[in-house]
Amino acid sequence: MIKSAKEIFLNPWFQIVFSTLAVACAELFLKRGAVAARPLSAALNWTGVSGLTSPLVWIGIVLVAISFASWLYVLRFLPLSIAFPLSQSVHVLVPIGSWIFLGELISSRRWAGIALVAIGIFSVAKPVARLEEKL
Amino acid sequence: MTPISVLLIFSTLVSFVAGQLLLKHAMEHDLGSRRFIRFFGTGLLAMTFSFFVTLGLLQHFDLSYLYPFQGFSVVIISVLAAVILREKLTARLLFGAALISAGVVLVSLS
Repeated sequence: MIKSAKEIFLNPWFQIVFSTLAVACAELFLKRGAVAARPLSAALNWTGVSGLTSPLVWIGIVLVAISFASWLYVLRFLPLSIAFPLSQSVHVLVPIGSWIFLGELISSRRWAGIALVAIGIFSVAKPVARLEEKL
Repeated sequence: MTPISVLLIFSTLVSFVAGQLLLKHAMEHDLGSRRFIRFFGTGLLAMTFSFFVTLGLLQHFDLSYLYPFQGFSVVIISVLAAVILREKLTARLLFGAALISAGVVLVSLS
């Protein structure tokens, strides 16, 4: 059966992926923006307020707000004990994103941690995926 | 590391976990109902508290020192969701949550 775009968008499983991707993108935009922003006065420097002068930071802020709304939608339909572990895939996406888009280096110990998180997410998601197939 | 910083780190973890549980409980009620507003408001307050105390702690400690504590939130939230919100917790789910926690700790240590 072909589902309509609206049906897919309103699916809580789609929303959890959407929410996590939005957070991961937000982190990358915030980092890019924070570095690009010109520092204001020395007194305000430590607060990160100077970041607000960068449009990239604002894209990051909008993405954070969108992901929060999407997360609340997810909470309405999915158990927290499944949704929260799955949302932790952000710990896989952010390091890989910073490796690809920001050129940051990842140590082998960090790769091992990323792999552990990925295996954990897989083990949480697999029985759920099977359950969905039956429905 | 002073007893006060231990207390602060512990309170960020507790308020973050409480915030997630409260928001989840709020979303189980009708939007705009009195119970929704009460749980949503306290949940948001708990998350805000956690955010600012974490920000304060970051001024004194390295991120790699504070982050592992956040990693434990995965296991704690899964267990408390089962206990308090009566969600079904399988051994496999708990195993997955433990792996994710361990992974987050490992990522932040390196």
